[in-house]
Amino acid sequence: MISVESWGIAGSIVDVGRTGLAWLGQSRGGAVDVSSLALANRLVGNPANAAGIETSGGLSMTFGQPTMVAIAGAVADVGVTGGQATGWGSHVVLPAGAQLRVGRLTDGARLYLAVRGGLAIAVDGLRVGPDPGEPAATEPAPRAPLTTRLRVWPGPRVDWFQSSAWPTLLAATFEVTSTSRVGVRLEGAALSARSDRELPSEGLVEGAIQVPPDGQPIIMLADHPTTGGYPVIAVIDPADLRHAAQAAVGTTLRFVPAR
Amino acid sequence: MRLLPYGPRAVLVEFDTLDQMMASASSWRNADIAGVVDVVPATRTVLVVHDGTLDERQLVAPIGATRALPAGEPVTLDVEYDGDDLAGVALACGLSVQEAIDLHCGAEYTVAFCGFMPGFAYLVGLPPLLQLPRRSTPRTRVPAGSVAIAAEFAGIYPRESPGGWHLLGHTNAILWDDSRTPPAMLPPGTRVRFRPT
Repeated sequence: MISVESWGIAGSIVDVGRTGLAWLGQSRGGAVDVSSLALANRLVGNPANAAGIETSGGLSMTFGQPTMVAIAGAVADVGVTGGQATGWGSHVVLPAGAQLRVGRLTDGARLYLAVRGGLAIAVDGLRVGPDPGEPAATEPAPRAPLTTRLRVWPGPRVDWFQSSAWPTLLAATFEVTSTSRVGVRLEGAALSARSDRELPSEGLVEGAIQVPPDGQPIIMLADHPTTGGYPVIAVIDPADLRHAAQAAVGTTLRFVPAR
Repeated sequence: MRLLPYGPRAVLVEFDTLDQMMASASSWRNADIAGVVDVVPATRTVLVVHDGTLDERQLVAPIGATRALPAGEPVTLDVEYDGDDLAGVALACGLSVQEAIDLHCGAEYTVAFCGFMPGFAYLVGLPPLLQLPRRSTPRTRVPAGSVAIAAEFAGIYPRESPGGWHLLGHTNAILWDDSRTPPAMLPPGTRVRFRPT
């Protein structure tokens, strides 16, 4: 059993979520940065879809039994009492009674912690699942640097905007003003619609860049509404979604054409 | 029908009417194309999400070539007509309360699309006499199971949430259950009737 003293900022148990349910009103859910959860899982020998912890800092937990853990995603100040220090991208086995604390994130927006066997919520804490039977990673994972240049494709409503909007999207810089499981809010040059006509709600995908009437774009993430009434000017290339997921408040983003 | 680009793994298809949209969404689902992961209908559009292996030609092939899914038997939902807006709706529509109830439960509905929250079905078929704009001030809390109407749509709130629709009554039906396949009781295309209790 693992007891969680503090989940910190936006801390929760996540898996990879469920695709194919948007037609019923349910977006994928699950880890916002799926690739980092998969990496943390791989490091401890779990299948990529095992449930782990997603947090934006301030997590504190105590282990009731010897437990193998690994951290991926954002870089943070991580402290361990009663066990070996836990670095980014490699696994350690913490003894019973060890306490692990994730402090402030120093690079990235979401940290993932995997536990060998995976996690499930129980009445009195977190339960560790059965041993996966696969070996843990023998080598530490190299850390792929985060990029702030995101590749974009034209969205379905690029013609809804003034002709200057697409070139502006590709030329300007945009600062992240907030990030949640729903999306990343940006502030920069205004992307202006041709008129104040309203668009009937239509389907959204992860990575869609929606523009409300104030002209300031929003990137859709894992918990986005399945439909929305703001025009979508562009879509982030799926390969760059993880960079959008890891863009912390204050980060300056640029958009470049996917081809 | 207009095809709108939506990146390497989706295309948005726009239609002139809700009826065309519903028929096409149903054709897509019936065609069951390998590589298509979601077919998301909305008011005038269908978003077809795929795994990146299909081109536009393959994606639109079922339209006109594949029949819509045959309509199944209607799902009947038992409703207690005790909603806070029932009397106000009747008054605004120039009806007695009983006439409003009779109109609402006398019609047959079809789920046009889902959205707003998991399992929230937008039902078409609401009699024009009952069509009102949504409330000018939304409620901060609408109870789960609330049977409601707004504009051309009828719907049921699967769980408690804020909401601006007019509340006519409530049902005990479970509209969303993660352990069910599919988890929504009322997927797009489902026919629905209401029965007063």
